[in-house]
Amino acid sequence: MANAADAHAHDDHGDHYPGFFFRWFCSTNHKDIGTVYMFVSMFAALVGGGMSWFMRLELAEPGLQYLTGGAPDMQFYNVLLTAHGFLMVFFVVMPALIGGFGNWFVPLMIGAPDMAFPRMNNISLWLLIAGLALLLISAFVGSGVGTGWTVYPPLSSSIYHPGAAVDFGILSLHLAGASSILGAINFIVTIFNMRAPGMTLHKMPLFVWSILVTAFLLLLALPVLAGALTMLLTDRNFGTAFFDPAAGGDPVLWQHLFWFFGHPEVYIIILPAFGLISQIVSTFSKKPVFGYLGMAYAMVAIGVVGFVVWAHHMYTVGLDVDTRAYFTAATLVIAVPTGVKIFSWLATMWGGSIEFKTPMLYAFGFIFLFVMGGVTGVTLANSSADLVFHDTYFVVAHFHYVMAIAAIFAMFAGWYYWIGKMSGKQYNETLGKIQFWMFFVGVNILFFPQHFAGLAGMPRRIPDYPDAYAGWNYVSSVGALITAVGTMLFFWILYRTYAAGTKAEQNPWGEGATTLEWHVPSPAPFHTFEDQPDMSGKQPAE
Amino acid sequence: MAKPQQKDARRNVRTALACASLVAGMVGLAYASVPLYKLFCQVTGLGGTPGIEAAAPEQATDIDFTVRFDANINPTLPWTFKPVQRAVNLKLGEEGLAFYTATNNSDHPITGTATFNVTPLKIGQYFVKIDCFCFTEQTLQPGETVDMPVTFYVDPEIRQDRSTEEVTTITLSYTFYPKKSETDGQVSALKQKSTPVDIGG
Repeated sequence: MANAADAHAHDDHGDHYPGFFFRWFCSTNHKDIGTVYMFVSMFAALVGGGMSWFMRLELAEPGLQYLTGGAPDMQFYNVLLTAHGFLMVFFVVMPALIGGFGNWFVPLMIGAPDMAFPRMNNISLWLLIAGLALLLISAFVGSGVGTGWTVYPPLSSSIYHPGAAVDFGILSLHLAGASSILGAINFIVTIFNMRAPGMTLHKMPLFVWSILVTAFLLLLALPVLAGALTMLLTDRNFGTAFFDPAAGGDPVLWQHLFWFFGHPEVYIIILPAFGLISQIVSTFSKKPVFGYLGMAYAMVAIGVVGFVVWAHHMYTVGLDVDTRAYFTAATLVIAVPTGVKIFSWLATMWGGSIEFKTPMLYAFGFIFLFVMGGVTGVTLANSSADLVFHDTYFVVAHFHYVMAIAAIFAMFAGWYYWIGKMSGKQYNETLGKIQFWMFFVGVNILFFPQHFAGLAGMPRRIPDYPDAYAGWNYVSSVGALITAVGTMLFFWILYRTYAAGTKAEQNPWGEGATTLEWHVPSPAPFHTFEDQPDMSGKQPAE
Repeated sequence: MAKPQQKDARRNVRTALACASLVAGMVGLAYASVPLYKLFCQVTGLGGTPGIEAAAPEQATDIDFTVRFDANINPTLPWTFKPVQRAVNLKLGEEGLAFYTATNNSDHPITGTATFNVTPLKIGQYFVKIDCFCFTEQTLQPGETVDMPVTFYVDPEIRQDRSTEEVTTITLSYTFYPKKSETDGQVSALKQKSTPVDIGG
């Protein structure tokens, strides 16, 4: 790795940072753009998290306690849960895992000097911020967007949402989608064309693999959402009738189009988390990942099969038995490559010299939560069972386990793993472990009881419930409170790290950390790998 | 160094353009899905889309069956639209005839079209229309009332399919809506009239 060391020794001289405004607002540097993505994600997480804590506060007891502004405002609850979904999916998880860690570490891990199109990278970032602004504005227009993140017509049509709020929401998603598509193109070009000599596709770190697969999913799924949203927009404003049955359209077509995007979207969220967890498990077990190629192609398989299972979100729309049988079987097939990943992580740890640093704790937490959510996912995949569970809190518990808290755990794992490289300062290990345990206990108390409420028939998206559900809802809200405190502690750790963290070493994790980002100093210099390292003849990076 | 960098840049642009065409293709596919979905429904009877044939089978069975009739109207169409009879009883495979009646309550001629489906949704492929007022546009003069016929039969195959063999009653439903060009003014008028729905409370 002498080559890489020489490269950055040379870089250190040429490191001159632009002024504050140009550095952060007009940035074309993948590291700075990644950092801004991370902070946008944290801001959106506080807004979206605040909304969820308010909802849990309201749901802590039966009856309406906090939604009363004169008359009880149910639409406000709808607006909250809609914005919570949009924010968390499009403006928290995707910017952090893809925009943040992806931008920061894909070029570093493949030994590239930057992304292929640095200016396009900047456009991606600012389109996302514009989208976020439009979404926040939509909450203040008319009665807000109370459609749920699935935006099903006729609820989202002009009959039930006559104001401009839904149009703001649609345009917000258009911008976020355009941002992600441009970002995905950038990643694909970078990964295909700018790897260090000798780093073949089959030697790339698994995190890079995960971003590559995710980028393809984005390219294939997001245009369908954009098309469907445009149809909805013209239905609402220009008199077309794509989804209006009273004029020859079909609202179920929206559901098909939405879920053709929506199901791959959940893999878009979780695949980068898979990649990241692979790096971390390997690093802290001090072993290469078990079954590297199997791990890479399991992600490809999940991506491919993920496109042919969408109607398992629509078992109750009146599909015939044979169609539902197909979608049940196809959905269950996804458990196979997912199982390959879970067992390979366990096999990586097996016999390893495991070090329980905070990132590894979070990786363990991720695997536990993902398996939990995966098990309920297998339950829900059965259309016969789903007819009962549909739209209950069982579904809420399921998808929060797999794509919400599992993804958040991966984000925390990545943050603790890489913050030394990103900021040059190391976090406080004791505080990090306390934060992990608070968060782990908190989210499980928060979401596990929702399985029971759902099995007992509690419907989702309703701010009130019969007294019979009171007990587990109270427990769930207590869990939300613990999670909230854990979140505050994270921001304290973040502040302490930047303000008073110890100087991070180039490689704080020892022999297990073999990928290229650990061969540049901490913090990573403004320019890295201007001379690409020669990777020929070297082992797979992970 | 300049030469290989230019070559790299060209290669990057080529890859990016390939990606962009993938995106354009998927947008096209999203829009193509609208007619494709309609076609798919017609072929498979998905979502209660009835089939269309020229004539009923030669031989009717002696199994009793009931077809009920339902009528809906788009709020922007100032018509009255009702089935003449609520239900007809017939044999499987027998050709049935039913009438709907429509009245134009406005002071100008209006052209409308009807969409249709049958429930239970799963028997779409066994309900077959021979002729229907819904196949064409209907123009009604001011105050005019017309009776509109539909002829149909229920395919006896419905008893051979395990998932539909228990069905003894089918409901045929129509929704009349104004032809698009005639509604542009009215739709926006309706939108202005409608106040935000008071969902609270």
